[in-house]
Amino acid sequence: MKRTTIGTVAALAAGALVLAGCGGDSDAPSADADGSPTDGGQSQSLTLWLMGGDTPDELRDYLRDTFAEETGAELVIEEQDWADAVTKLTTALPDAGATPDVTEIGNTWASTFTGVGAFSDLSDIYDELGGEDLLQSFVAAGDVDGAHHALPYYFGSRLIWYRKDVWQEAGLEVPTTLAEFNDTVTQLRTDDRSGFYLGGEDWRNGISWIFANGGELAVKEGDTWVSSLSDPATQEGLAQFQQLFTDASNAPATESDSTPWVNINNNDDGVPEAATIIAPGWAYWSIGLPSEEDPDVLEWDDETFGVFALPGTEEGTVAPVFAGGSNIAISAASEKQELARDLLRIIFSEEYQTMLAENGLGPANTQYLDAFVALNPTVNEAAAEAALGSKLTPAAPGWAAVEGATLLEEFFGKVAEGGDIAQLAAEYDEQLDALLN
Amino acid sequence: MTAVPSAPTRRRSWRRRTVPYWLLVPAVVLLLAGTGYPVVWQVVTSFREYGMAQQFGQPAPFVGLANYLAIVQDAGLWGVVVRSVTFAVVAAFVTLAVGIGLALVMRAAWTWVRLVLQVSLLLAWAMPVVAAMTVWIWLFDRRRGVVNWLLERLGLEQFHRFDWLAQPATFFAVAAVVVVWMSVPFVALSVYAGLSQISLEVIEASELDGADGAQRLRYIFLPMIRPVVAIVLLLQLVWDLRVFTQVKLLQDAGSQSGRFDLVGTAIHKLGTGVGDFGMAAAMSVFVLLLTVVLSAYYVRVLLKEDAS
Repeated sequence: MKRTTIGTVAALAAGALVLAGCGGDSDAPSADADGSPTDGGQSQSLTLWLMGGDTPDELRDYLRDTFAEETGAELVIEEQDWADAVTKLTTALPDAGATPDVTEIGNTWASTFTGVGAFSDLSDIYDELGGEDLLQSFVAAGDVDGAHHALPYYFGSRLIWYRKDVWQEAGLEVPTTLAEFNDTVTQLRTDDRSGFYLGGEDWRNGISWIFANGGELAVKEGDTWVSSLSDPATQEGLAQFQQLFTDASNAPATESDSTPWVNINNNDDGVPEAATIIAPGWAYWSIGLPSEEDPDVLEWDDETFGVFALPGTEEGTVAPVFAGGSNIAISAASEKQELARDLLRIIFSEEYQTMLAENGLGPANTQYLDAFVALNPTVNEAAAEAALGSKLTPAAPGWAAVEGATLLEEFFGKVAEGGDIAQLAAEYDEQLDALLN
Repeated sequence: MTAVPSAPTRRRSWRRRTVPYWLLVPAVVLLLAGTGYPVVWQVVTSFREYGMAQQFGQPAPFVGLANYLAIVQDAGLWGVVVRSVTFAVVAAFVTLAVGIGLALVMRAAWTWVRLVLQVSLLLAWAMPVVAAMTVWIWLFDRRRGVVNWLLERLGLEQFHRFDWLAQPATFFAVAAVVVVWMSVPFVALSVYAGLSQISLEVIEASELDGADGAQRLRYIFLPMIRPVVAIVLLLQLVWDLRVFTQVKLLQDAGSQSGRFDLVGTAIHKLGTGVGDFGMAAAMSVFVLLLTVVLSAYYVRVLLKEDAS
């Protein structure tokens, strides 16, 4: 009796150990299931990867419906997190079984992926999709030796959103130069409220100050890309960034640019935690006061909120802000090249481009820029102004690696914490140089 | 006369001797295919230059020990290794202490209390990591987290809007709490299983001899569950050394900067982040060797125990 009991317990313990060995070392959650079902003969399907929540549901529904109408095939849209996107694309694109057929890709990564041949050549339908009317700077990001591999999808430039009520209370006006802006927001800072909400690792917004002072992140010298963080103009911009972070912002040094609008909306106590934020044009839909019909929905209020383009160092100019946005491309490993091209034709159609514009996403086709401004005058006038002056990150083949190694987040974070800018710049110049080419 | 019966015996005994090995073949084949192929690929790739270009079709040139030399010369990566070993040791020993404590409680408690405890432990262990991490990140959220709210209520004003994920020290403290929480059930249940094998007569004899609780723990319980503890400690060290999911999700909520990296996330960053798969493979092999070195001592002790 005792032997069987001990034997049972021992067997259970052994079983538990074995099962623990299987289950205990659980790894990262399993990758997204391949969305497209195998071609059974009748219904074909096409997989589209979209990054983050930038493309609103209305547009996704339109794409699904129109695609089904025009081709009879099903469009499967899978949303990928911006943070994991490079990882997912690196592992999925080369594999014909797992690759998305069409994918949105951040414009800063486009040159890396087109450089290694991840995307199909779209030069044959380039003119059909818009040709010279498409945003040329984004087209250049997706070019390899003159062949177009990734075309612009939408652009969005960063704008300054501010609380009119808070600014008016302090007796401040919309600044006309960058220096004036830096001073104004510093004045607005209190213990409970940032004058200007800027995270320490927020390099995508921080580089506006670098660009405004004429600095660059990397330059092409001859055939090689060289990091230019130690450039005096870049250093000047970084010093301004450091000062802004220390004097105007209450944000943590480890925060980057995820959801700044939560700070400008009223918090539970009915006051904003930031008087000013910098965010892309589509933040319009996340900023506002609770509407009367449904307190969970925010509605823009012109008396409380305002928006303008970040001014440049000289009066009457705008600061070159980071030209956010995405390109769109067809995976070279996809087995549905023709069907994918049909989807692109829908995306570059007048209806869809207009819908993009209506939702605060700058259309890839510059023909519709005026329509873009007209559709939402509050935001889009400033957005178009900022967009025309905006800049992209260096189109170096290794730029996606720099972003994947989170080097700029680290660098900006250390600068924000009060580090020696010159020393940090030299250190990170070395690390960037190793990855850029 | 004697030859006839012995011939069939010899044939039967040969077959009987080799049958166990034949039964092992399917399992070994599956094991080799499932775990062997990735390991072999990693070792081979660690000697090559394998970047994004190779991922998309270019040939991968053989570069010998270049990747390993790059690792050894990178001060940042050594920092990550030291941090990971420290983290693994601290987490493993804390897990062990809490697990043994819970096992002793389970042994001493009433049946229904023990059942409740065991079910709670199983639920904690069975919860999917990502779901658990989501809740933990909310608990430690700087604006609306329960932890900050509780600490402020207790009068510790410095925790108002305290950002736990801002400094490496507090970041890894949170990571340790989560990893310990996720590992304790396994340790507690295994040690409890070991404790339940101790015969009551030994315990009664020690009580008659006048031993109190602490002495019983030290001189009877711990030595008798030593094999279980040794195995469980080894497993915890190995698992905590290569922890990935928890740290990665905490980084996504906080900062992805290099000072918040342990070896798991550092290898992931090198591989799928930067796209330098050769270096990442070399780093993986390096961590494997490190794990073997750290656990070699234990394996030797275990083998000696078995022999005696």
